[in-house]
Amino acid sequence: MKKSKVLIGLILAVALIFSFGVSQSIAADTIKVGIVLPLTGKLAKFGEIENKSFLMALKEINAAGGVNGKKIELIIEDTTGKPDVGRSAIEKLISLDKVVMLGGGYSSSVTWATIAVAQQNKVPFLVNTGSADKITEQGWEYIFRLNPPVSEYPGAFASFLETIATDVKTVAILHENSLFGQSGSKKFVKRCEALGLEVLMKEGYEAGAIDFKPLLIKVKAKKADLVYMISYIMDASLLMRQSKELNLNPKLFVGGAAGFTLPEFKKNAAKASNFVYSATLWTPSVPYPGAQAYYDKFVEIYNEPTEYHGAEAYSAMYVIADALKRAKSLTRKDVRNALASTNLITAFGPVKFISYDKKTNQNKLPTFLVQWIDGNLETVWPKNVATKGYIYPIPKWSKR
Amino acid sequence: MKKFMPLILLIILIIFPLVYQNAYYQHLMILVFIWVAIGSGWNMIAGFTGQVSFGDAAFFGTGAYTAGLLAHHFGISAWWGMAFGGIMAMAVAFPFGWICFRLRGAYFALASLALNEVCRHIATIAEPLTQGMVGILIMPTFVSKIPYYYIALALAVVSVISVQFIMQTKWGYYFLSIREDQDAAESLGIDTHRYKMVSLNIAAFLTGMAGALFMNYMGFIDPEVVFSLHDISIMAILVGIVGGVGTIYGPAVGAFVMVAVHEFFRTGFFGFFKGLAVLTGSDFLNIAAKYISHAHVLGFGILVVLVILYLPNGIVGDWNKLVGKLVPFKKKEAAT
Repeated sequence: MKKSKVLIGLILAVALIFSFGVSQSIAADTIKVGIVLPLTGKLAKFGEIENKSFLMALKEINAAGGVNGKKIELIIEDTTGKPDVGRSAIEKLISLDKVVMLGGGYSSSVTWATIAVAQQNKVPFLVNTGSADKITEQGWEYIFRLNPPVSEYPGAFASFLETIATDVKTVAILHENSLFGQSGSKKFVKRCEALGLEVLMKEGYEAGAIDFKPLLIKVKAKKADLVYMISYIMDASLLMRQSKELNLNPKLFVGGAAGFTLPEFKKNAAKASNFVYSATLWTPSVPYPGAQAYYDKFVEIYNEPTEYHGAEAYSAMYVIADALKRAKSLTRKDVRNALASTNLITAFGPVKFISYDKKTNQNKLPTFLVQWIDGNLETVWPKNVATKGYIYPIPKWSKR
Repeated sequence: MKKFMPLILLIILIIFPLVYQNAYYQHLMILVFIWVAIGSGWNMIAGFTGQVSFGDAAFFGTGAYTAGLLAHHFGISAWWGMAFGGIMAMAVAFPFGWICFRLRGAYFALASLALNEVCRHIATIAEPLTQGMVGILIMPTFVSKIPYYYIALALAVVSVISVQFIMQTKWGYYFLSIREDQDAAESLGIDTHRYKMVSLNIAAFLTGMAGALFMNYMGFIDPEVVFSLHDISIMAILVGIVGGVGTIYGPAVGAFVMVAVHEFFRTGFFGFFKGLAVLTGSDFLNIAAKYISHAHVLGFGILVVLVILYLPNGIVGDWNKLVGKLVPFKKKEAAT
């Protein structure tokens, strides 16, 4: 009995050693690209959408002949949403898998911890979601970013405030205490000041909090015209449900992307989600070729809706393939140079890495304002891409 | 032979990065060494003195933030944090121990848990000082892993040796007597409050040093990383339990096992199942591979349950038992 147990152990050990050979032999004639995403942990929801989109794009690219006859192989590593684990993942990709370039990077803090390694090892890294401003403010030539920084998320919303919602004078900001929330709220305060709005309160809450009533009562007492929230998924739904319970009636409820545009937000907040605005970077109705096609195809394959994170990942894969195609050779340096001269129209918008303000290798994109109207996420601003008229001000809870 | 084991191991570890120059494995070994220092600290207070602490992250984070803030606000090299990190961690441990060592057993454990959370909240909210969740980023000093490897190895060796040394002095016997029976120790004239403080401060110093090294090596910290209850405080306890509570070399073994298990599960046994799935083209294996890599927390749980059930004194504490189970098999094999 005991002997057989040890035997099984031995077989397992041998099998493990062989597994190195197995995983490496498959990858003989492919171009290896490393992707870091949070596939487990509390950010897994977003990581999963991006993962599926990456794989979808990969399949399309490889089916169409890959890159100059070679197939791309994605090595997707789980960061579990933690910076130190992300660091392990990136070390593995660079030194063990010897990838030619890196992609992914979901949350700002994990991305932040990993880009320094990529830069020091001179491995090009195309960040597609991590949105804290400083990621592209270091002057690091190997770090590229597809999505706009968080400070630019409310761009369309600001123009909406200037032209339509001109009677909004006071603002309350609620944000999750995360890198995304804390840096995003700070930038939003600056934007409000520029617009001449008075910020009555700006308060953070613990990630994973479930009771927002003390915060919302404070908002109610201050009678802010606009409630701006930077939240992930559960907290976004709970904030709206509890606002309804407390009968909090500002002129505008606005979310700063992330949790407010997910299909789950509608599911969890139910009726409380109605009329909520959110800044967003992408909707299926944006005027880019392939945007709607991507959405439809995703729904067809995975039988669930997708949103802007998925579009970022999907387009990032095309940008990666494009750079690999144009690279003089498949060395990290040449791929980096090819990436720098990217000029591609993707489902997420035109991609071109430029330097402006303090940022380098940053893609600049317009943003949109969306509103949940009767269970559908409609683009309402800017007007030329709107799918439906905006509803402003938001009707009071009692009058719905 | 047994006497020379640690020495042989040390020589192997010194040679390792020179022979095997793979940055990924060096990275994992650096993590192991950092955990050896944290585990030794925890073992000092919980294993030898019997005061179970759930708040190691408070000391770890203080050390890390000391190094980070020195670099961030004053532009001093974060390596100074290695010196000050331990001292700052003691500065946190001192008032905490002074007040909370009036509590015993589970009550002290709860207080230490609270300390952990208090520190994390302070680091999150005090944005002007700590930058909150934006975190602190410094450029790592070296590109190569080798300097970090030797510094971490030195820290690990120093912490193991210092624990060994202290446990041979009069202090060590005081600590053990407090663990065995605090009232009896007191009746013998040992100032238990004072010696619990001594033990806690030694633990805090080692943990703080490890924190400062973490900052230097990782180059990035935020409150959730270094003040994490789950990833630091509980992990420190697991390292102690798996390796062996109240043994000198327990934390070293525990650190190695825990880091290895964590990485094993995270990578899905280094892509073993994925590779097998591709080879056989089996969908079932593909799905299994996915779930296995998702189950690293479960893997920890099973490991701890097994260790507590079969090796209640940890791998080092129950070493003879473990060897006893394997040796008869070896003998039989030789006979056949």
